[in-house]
Amino acid sequence: MSFDIALIIDSIPKMLMGIGLTFQLLFLSLALGTALGVMLLILRISGRWYLSWPTMIYIYIFRGTPILVQIFIIYYGLPQLEFVRDGIFWPILREPFGCAIVALTLNTGAYLSEIFRGGVLGVDRGLKEAGSALGLSVTDRFIYITAPIAIRLCLPAYSNDVVSLMKSTALASTITLLDMMGIARTIVAETYAPYEVFISVMVIYLIITWAIQRTFGWIEKRMSRHVRQ
Amino acid sequence: MEAITGWWDDFFWGSLVVVELFFVALFLTILFGLIGAGSKLSGNKTAKAIANGYTIIFRGTPEILVLLLFYFGSAITMTAIAQIFDPTIKFVDIPPFWAGSLAIALIIGSYATETFRGAFLGVDPGQIEASRALGVSNLQTFIYVRIPAMWRLALPPFGNHMLSLIKDTALVAIIGLEETLFVAEQAIGTTGKPFTMYILVGAIYLGFSTIITLSVMRLEKYANKHLEVTR
Repeated sequence: MSFDIALIIDSIPKMLMGIGLTFQLLFLSLALGTALGVMLLILRISGRWYLSWPTMIYIYIFRGTPILVQIFIIYYGLPQLEFVRDGIFWPILREPFGCAIVALTLNTGAYLSEIFRGGVLGVDRGLKEAGSALGLSVTDRFIYITAPIAIRLCLPAYSNDVVSLMKSTALASTITLLDMMGIARTIVAETYAPYEVFISVMVIYLIITWAIQRTFGWIEKRMSRHVRQ
Repeated sequence: MEAITGWWDDFFWGSLVVVELFFVALFLTILFGLIGAGSKLSGNKTAKAIANGYTIIFRGTPEILVLLLFYFGSAITMTAIAQIFDPTIKFVDIPPFWAGSLAIALIIGSYATETFRGAFLGVDPGQIEASRALGVSNLQTFIYVRIPAMWRLALPPFGNHMLSLIKDTALVAIIGLEETLFVAEQAIGTTGKPFTMYILVGAIYLGFSTIITLSVMRLEKYANKHLEVTR
């Protein structure tokens, strides 16, 4: 057993070729997942049982099952169903990339809506009452009073979720996608040098995590600059 | 649905493997979490630095990467060690079950470290001073005062860690442990019904998650029963 430095130097550029795909998976599913999370949040707090119950069931299912199983159901499972193959979403669900995006979006949307709900519930009641006393409509109150405060409250949890979403993108390698993890696995299969390759890719992932945390730390500081002097 | 008929027993044994994996990893998670939290709270600089490195690395890298590194890494190391004694040996690996439970426990243990650390800090210092004033030893204070007070605080976040733990067990199928996801792959090979089989796996995991959620709710009630208003 030896530690092959040349192999590390050789494989890091190869793995970095996959960083683009990792970022595509991360940003696309984060954007779509955030939109889905907001939609689920609005349904959940709508106060109408026929809207909030299905949302709760959705969240319960997607948070209660492993993301790997969700990816497998969407990528390997759905083509079994005829109406999916004939449906309009088939061009997306035919490709592993589309499936990965769909799975990550559906999963992270469920988690994010709960985070957003935590933020909304954390907004002081008095502010909402003041809003309605001023004659603001429900929609206006949500947009101008609740949302800005809720965003600030749920930012730390949101940044944690971005990190776990980033970690979940590595699972795309299980459905043949060549993101950083996929390339690392290919190199290990060829060279059988797990320590060198996996530890190098681990360092790259750690740097991305660090960058995400730093970015959100900066945003948090900026958004709460009125609090501190 | 009739496709599942011949596979019920396989899925049952697969689920049993998940349960075993869960409990072994849970035990190790608590162990790693307590060691990590202890090191972070100790005055020892080296211990603190190691614990900080541990939480940064295991919370910041994908679970699948840790798992594969453990499984294939340990195989390389074990083979190298075995070849010192017997050069004819080609390949030795540690069983996927142990590689898997160790990797998962290290990952969730890094989250548990932070939870336990916060919970230990949340224990009222007056209680610890009181036990010291009563002449109770440090170890006894830890067992009889700190632990009972901290686990109440740690329980709600630790419940979430247990949910992550049960869901992470699905990953161990990738290194070839015969748990539910692995059984599903075999069943698909014969029946050609991937949707049915993976939905069944999802349903099994949903059942496990529900059991954990309900158990944590009961435990929380038990932990806080002294706070309930008596009627």
